[in-house]
Amino acid sequence: MTRKLVAQLPFIVLLVVAFTFSLLTPKFATTANAANLLTQASSAAVLAGGMSFVLLASCIDLSVGSQMFFAAAVAGKLLLAYESVPLAIVAMPLVGVCCGAVHGLLVTWAGLAPFIATMASLFVLRGAGLWLTETRAMNLPAEFTGYADATVAGFPLPIVIACVTLLALTYLHRRTAFGRQIVAIGHDREEAYKAGINCSRTIWQVYLVSGVCCAIAGFISLTQLGTVSPSFGRDREFNAIAAAVLGGTSLSGGTGSILPGAAIGAILVTMVFNGLNLIDANPYTYPLITGTVILFAILCDAVRHRHFATR
Amino acid sequence: MSWRWMRYLLASAMLFAAGCGNNKPAAQQIDGQLRIGIAFETLQTEYWVASLDNLRNELNKRNAEIVEVVADGDANRQLEQVQSLITRHVDGIVLVPKDSRTCVPMIRAANKANIPIVLYNRGAATGAGPHVVVVADNRSITRATVSKMVEVARQRGRKLKAAILIGDLGDINAIERREGFDEIVAENPDVVEVVARIPTEWNQEKAFAGITNALQANPEIEFIFCSSDFLFPSVISALKSANRYLPVNDPNHVVLGGFDGDATAYGMLKEGYLDADGVQDVQFECQQAVDALYKMNRGETVDAVLPDPGFVIHQGNLETDAERMWGSQVGSHK
Repeated sequence: MTRKLVAQLPFIVLLVVAFTFSLLTPKFATTANAANLLTQASSAAVLAGGMSFVLLASCIDLSVGSQMFFAAAVAGKLLLAYESVPLAIVAMPLVGVCCGAVHGLLVTWAGLAPFIATMASLFVLRGAGLWLTETRAMNLPAEFTGYADATVAGFPLPIVIACVTLLALTYLHRRTAFGRQIVAIGHDREEAYKAGINCSRTIWQVYLVSGVCCAIAGFISLTQLGTVSPSFGRDREFNAIAAAVLGGTSLSGGTGSILPGAAIGAILVTMVFNGLNLIDANPYTYPLITGTVILFAILCDAVRHRHFATR
Repeated sequence: MSWRWMRYLLASAMLFAAGCGNNKPAAQQIDGQLRIGIAFETLQTEYWVASLDNLRNELNKRNAEIVEVVADGDANRQLEQVQSLITRHVDGIVLVPKDSRTCVPMIRAANKANIPIVLYNRGAATGAGPHVVVVADNRSITRATVSKMVEVARQRGRKLKAAILIGDLGDINAIERREGFDEIVAENPDVVEVVARIPTEWNQEKAFAGITNALQANPEIEFIFCSSDFLFPSVISALKSANRYLPVNDPNHVVLGGFDGDATAYGMLKEGYLDADGVQDVQFECQQAVDALYKMNRGETVDAVLPDPGFVIHQGNLETDAERMWGSQVGSHK
C-alpha cells in the first residue's frame, strides 16, 4: 500500500497543486487555460524526458539549456541566411546529435565525470551561441513561428510533438534492450558490465537521445518565442532536472519513467508558474515557491530512495 | 635546509617584494598611457554590447590600454576578475556589477589598492566605500515613459487593464523601473488598473509564458509596460498568438511601452507598434564613466553620482530624436 502511494506521489502532488489553484482563482480550471498550460509545458516535458534518460543511467546533463540555445542559434543563422525553414528544422536535431555525441565521448572515452563534462559544455555552448548571434536577438520569420499556432487534428502542434517524443522515449525505455541496459547501468554499472553490457556505448547513446531532446525542446520554444535571444534556454537545466525528479526519476539512477513521470513533472513545474501568474501573486513569492518545489522534488527522491532501499 | 635552497628562497622573496612594491602602473610609467580594466557582469543583451563598444571607443580615443573581463552572471567570478585587474595594476576600473550588494567587496578591494572605480549603470548598496556611479535615472525615465503611455490611454476614454513585466528582483534598476511605473499608475487610477505583475528574472521565456498566462486570465489587458526592451520579442509573440499585436492607429491596439532604447524598440516605433520608450543615453554614460576615471587619475574630485537623464521617445518625436536612440545605430541580423 505504502509502496503504491510512494509511486503515485507525483500524480497526487499534481492534483493537490491543481486543486489549490482552482480554489484560489476561477480562471485556472478552464479548458482554455488547460490548453495553454499543456502548450507551455510541451518544451519542458521533452527536455525532462531526455533528462530522465540521462538520470536513469545515473548520469547528468547540465548543458541542456545551452544545447537548446546553440541549436537555436545555428537554426536562426541558417534561416536568416538561406531563408529556408526546412533547412533550419533539419539543422536543429543535427546540432543536438553532435552535442550529445561529444558529451557521450567526454564521459565515456575521456572518462570525465558527467557533472564536470556537461558543466563545461554549458559554458562552451552558450559562448559559442553568443558568438554566433553576436549577442543580438535574431527575429525569425512568420513561416517558422507559425508552427507554434499550428494544429494537428485539432491539437496544438507543440503538444503533438511532445506527445510523440515522450511516447518514443517510453517505448525505448520500456520495450527495448537499450532501455533495459540503461536501467541496469543506472542500478549498478559494475554489475551491468559484468553482465556483458557495453556500458560506454549505452551511455554515449543516452547522451545522443538527450541531445536530440534538447533540439526538439529548443524547436518548440523557438517557434513560440519567435526570436533567438541571448538568454534563450537559460536555467532550463534546473527545470528539467526538477521535472524529471518530481516525475519519479531517481537522481541515483535506475528508477523512473518518461510517461507519465517526466510529463507530470514538467506539467507540475509549469503549473506552479502559470497558477502564480493567474492569481497575480506578489513577484517576491515566485522564487520562494519555485525553490520550495525543487526542494520538494529532492525530498521526494530521498523518500523514494530510502523506502525502496529498505524493501 | 641547504645554502642553495636558502639562496633560491631569498631571490624569490626579493622578486616578489619588487613586484608588490611596484604599485605605480607600468604603462603609466612608460608613456603616460592609462591601463583601464572593464569588468562586465554579462554581455547577454544588446544594451551591454553597445555599452562595451562605446566604452572601447571612448578609451581608444584617449589611447588607453584596455583589459576586458566578463563574469557571465557569476558574482564570485567577477570578484576574482576585479582582484586580478588590481594585481595587473590597472589605473582605473569600470565595473558593471551583477547587483548592488555583490559589488561591495569589489569596491573595497579597489579602494584598498588605491585604484579609482566607476560603477556603470548599476549603483552599489550604502556603505560600499568611495566610488563613482554613472547611472540612468531609471525611476524618472520610467515615470516619463509611463506618463506618455497614460496620455495615449486617456484618449480611449475608459479605464484600461494593465500588465507590467518586471525584471530581476535583485537588480536595483528593475526595482526602480517598477517603482516608477507604480507611482504613475497610482497617480492615474481613473485611466489604468494593474491586473498582472509578471516577474521575468530578465528571461525571455519566462516573460513569454507570463504574458501569455496574463492575457489568458485577463483578455481585456490593453496596456503593457516592459521593464526592458529585450523582453519585447516575448510580448510580440504572445500578442500575435492572441491576435492582439496591432498598430497604434488601430482602435484595439494594446498600448505598449518599454525601457532601454534598443534596436527592437526602434523597429517597433518605426513600424508604428510601440507608443513610448525610455531611452538610456549609452554614449553619454560611457563618456561620463571614462571622464570620471581620467579625472580621478589626475587627482581631481568627481561627483559620487553622475546621472544620465535619458529621454522618452514616442511616435510624436521619433523623427527628430531617433538618432539619439542607441538602438537606431545598432545593426540587426539579416
